[in-house]
Amino acid sequence: MVKIKLFGVLKTMVPGGKDLEMEIPAGGQVRDLVHSIQGEYPQVGELLDKKKVLVSVNQEIAHWDTVLEEADEIALLPPFAGGSCATWAREGV
Amino acid sequence: MAVELEESMLVRVQQENFSIDEELERVRSRSRRIGGIAMFLGTARDHSKGREVSAMSFDHYEGMAQKKLKEIREQALRDFDIIEALVLHRYGPIEIGENIVLIIVGAEHRADAFKACKWCIDELKQITPIWKMETTPDGEVWVEEHP
Repeated sequence: MVKIKLFGVLKTMVPGGKDLEMEIPAGGQVRDLVHSIQGEYPQVGELLDKKKVLVSVNQEIAHWDTVLEEADEIALLPPFAGGSCATWAREGV
Repeated sequence: MAVELEESMLVRVQQENFSIDEELERVRSRSRRIGGIAMFLGTARDHSKGREVSAMSFDHYEGMAQKKLKEIREQALRDFDIIEALVLHRYGPIEIGENIVLIIVGAEHRADAFKACKWCIDELKQITPIWKMETTPDGEVWVEEHP
């Protein structure tokens, strides 16, 4: 079970606006987590799929093949207040 | 210890407002070699994308936001010919007209101070996990991007 922090507009897309808890398989990657989120929270999942929302692991932008562990600090990051899609392109994800 | 404490004051994410004079003095007092100081102050405006804005609030990722501001200061000190840089951002509810973000850069000469100050605020807006919600006549809106 991993906990996922939500920020900004994402808080309006899940019931109660609270952080998520999701099961991930042993050795699971960010792409597995994204797949689970797409199943339970399609609105959030669509933003992840379009790369409008990034995943961070331990406070660094993660890639889809980043391997997750239960102790990891995971967050979903919508576009920053001052940023643009260029930020996302720059991260190469 | 005193040096670490002073450096932590040069990169802050905080809810409360700040005194520009105090922050300016913090940078100025770091070195007597400083001959030019450039500053950027971001303030809360009352309109956005053609809509009136009556209030705003900033959400931030505690820990990561501080980490990114620290990286910005350290890279500015490495990449520009400057002596000191201060990077400060507020979070929580902010009234129209209030301070939001402050960059102060001290250098021997103005050209380096101006260049580094612009780079710092541009970089901050690109990589710092801070989100703005504006209160408009249509309701509360999360702002996605600003040039």
